[in-house]
Amino acid sequence: MKKLLALILAAVMLLAVMAPALAEEKVTLKIYAQYADDDTKVPYDYAVEKLAEAYPNVELELIVQAQDDGATLLSLAAAKNLPDIFQTGAGIMPTLRASNQMMVLNDVAEKTGFADKVFESAKDFLYADDGNIYAFPYAGNEYVLWFINKAIFADAGLEVPTTYDELLNCIEVFKSKDIVPLALFGQEGWITAAMYDTIATRFNAGGIKALDRGEAKITDEAYVEAAKALYDLTKAGLFQASVTSTNYDQASELFLSGKAAMFLNGQWYIEDATKALGDDVCWIAYPAPTAEVFEQSKNAFSGSGSVAGYAVNPDSPNAELAAEVAAFISEKYCEAKITLRNNPLVAVNTGLTNDTLPPMMQDLVAAIPEMTSTTAFTWGLTNTTFTNAIGTWTQALVSGEYTVDEFVEEIAAEME
Amino acid sequence: MNRYLANKKAVALFVAPALILFIVFVFVPIIQVFYYSFFEWDGVNQATFLGIDNYTKLFKSTVFSVANLNGLKFGLLITIYQIFFATIFALAVSDKRVPFRKFFRTAYFIPVVLSVTIVCQLWVSIFDADHGLLNTLMKRLGSSWQQNWLNGRYSAIWAVAFVNAWQWMGYQFALIVAGMKSISTDYYEAAELDGCTAVQTHWYMTLPLLKDTYNFCLLVSVTGGIKAFTEIQIMTRGGPGQATNTLAYIMYKQAFITHKYGYGLSAASILVLECLVVILVLNFLFRDRDEALLRREARRAGKGAKA
Repeated sequence: MKKLLALILAAVMLLAVMAPALAEEKVTLKIYAQYADDDTKVPYDYAVEKLAEAYPNVELELIVQAQDDGATLLSLAAAKNLPDIFQTGAGIMPTLRASNQMMVLNDVAEKTGFADKVFESAKDFLYADDGNIYAFPYAGNEYVLWFINKAIFADAGLEVPTTYDELLNCIEVFKSKDIVPLALFGQEGWITAAMYDTIATRFNAGGIKALDRGEAKITDEAYVEAAKALYDLTKAGLFQASVTSTNYDQASELFLSGKAAMFLNGQWYIEDATKALGDDVCWIAYPAPTAEVFEQSKNAFSGSGSVAGYAVNPDSPNAELAAEVAAFISEKYCEAKITLRNNPLVAVNTGLTNDTLPPMMQDLVAAIPEMTSTTAFTWGLTNTTFTNAIGTWTQALVSGEYTVDEFVEEIAAEME
Repeated sequence: MNRYLANKKAVALFVAPALILFIVFVFVPIIQVFYYSFFEWDGVNQATFLGIDNYTKLFKSTVFSVANLNGLKFGLLITIYQIFFATIFALAVSDKRVPFRKFFRTAYFIPVVLSVTIVCQLWVSIFDADHGLLNTLMKRLGSSWQQNWLNGRYSAIWAVAFVNAWQWMGYQFALIVAGMKSISTDYYEAAELDGCTAVQTHWYMTLPLLKDTYNFCLLVSVTGGIKAFTEIQIMTRGGPGQATNTLAYIMYKQAFITHKYGYGLSAASILVLECLVVILVLNFLFRDRDEALLRREARRAGKGAKA
């Protein structure tokens, strides 16, 4: 009897010791991701929730991405201490690739079926210039939109401007009514570059992307004319006086509170603008120098996607698993963007649709097949010197404190 | 004490920890700054030697002269503002006849303990050209004098420098008050007996006795101007255009935005050299002439004795 009891006791003790090992081991993966506003928090939270169902043994430890042009990521890379999974953009990818700190994800993309699910229009964002996959994209093509408050235009008895002369007239009327014609968060270089790009596309459809790729020069007539147009509009009072010290929150508040008639931002702003202004808000084709040019160029859009998304640290002890998780998260981001953020412009075909898209998004989706060309956001540019120069000098231009000649000469000098 | 100082091993033992920390965390990084400024380097991968190309490019760029001029303007404004007001306020709160001295002593220091971000945001709102306090106040007073403080190519650097001056004046004030407290009251009693007025007492006695304090205050202000960064990053991000760039801001932009660490470090090297020159010049100007004279005479006397 005693022997039996001793045996049972020994078995219980052995089980107690072995139990954690028998249970599947939990893996914690560090992830460096954007988590700042609804557009980034909602998809992340959704992906984490779905991950818990599909990968119950995986836990994510979030490191919130700093808005620092990749400086934190590069510091981590310099210390060979990158997280298991990290969001990255086109600007710093060459540096990380050169240091062999980005895992080649071709096999995982094939194994998980991710590569097959990527929309044809987004295939360019999946494959890098050497034909390899280094990051799982989730964002599709994104566009710079010129938002307007229709109610303010109607109150002022104004039509939507299609030419710069009409726009100048709108500026004059709005200024007389103490309304900011166009609220711009000019403290950020990317939006001033986008502003210039919307004008440059009316003169050369390639916009700033053509300059970045070396297909055009800032001294070309098209770009000089675009600078002149922006300068004249600025001098006429297109923006609020403190444009270069205005941040996003301040500019958005001006527009959403009805103190500004127009606003420039990416299409991701549709959701917030619709919530605040309802049917009063819409986006318009960028105005052009003449009605004829407007007709020719109205389907040339500023913005597009770029090689970016979730990348994986090849030195991670769980690199293979991290790669699978990265692909999973990117796909779930797309689901969340479609269903929870009313944004169908994603990279991956999830099979989901949204029948309740806001009218502005419906218009954009309808416009996509008609688009004749796109350009790039500054984070999709590949030449960091040009990216810095175009941000700095378009900001100078919208301040109205620098001449067109200075704008052209300084960018040309930096590009040399 | 002399016996202890004669024991070189003991001295070395006690100095070593601080010296090692200084070498590892200050001296070596400064040497690295100079070293990598001769390379093309992205901060992660292998660096490529460029010789003096980064410096040539930097000296040729228009932003370099703008940055130096801005450093000068920044330093000038904060030095004049901070030292002038800190001195006036320190003298005022040291006078026992001034009511609420303790309150003012605390009040002048309050901006120093506030977060730089909060202070900058506060002043961004005040300077706002459209709805800012300053322009609105002028409007209410019936004046048409409206300024675009932070958006102006020539006004932005002054506006940003003023914010730094306003916030850190309290720090200089605390230094000067502490310096004044270290002056023996015997001097003031003697001056009173000699019939000196308050102005004469401070002009001929307090200020000269605070020479070392002022030397330090000037060092802090002038080098603070040359290496100005925080307020610029929060309020203008170097803009409009390059109007509020400083050497520190060039370094940041090149290293962390365009990822050209080598080029950024060439700006940092110039920044270090400029600060070093300022320190040497100020130390020379504020050297104790009497002490130097005595030392020279002692040396001469020593040589004479040997001869």
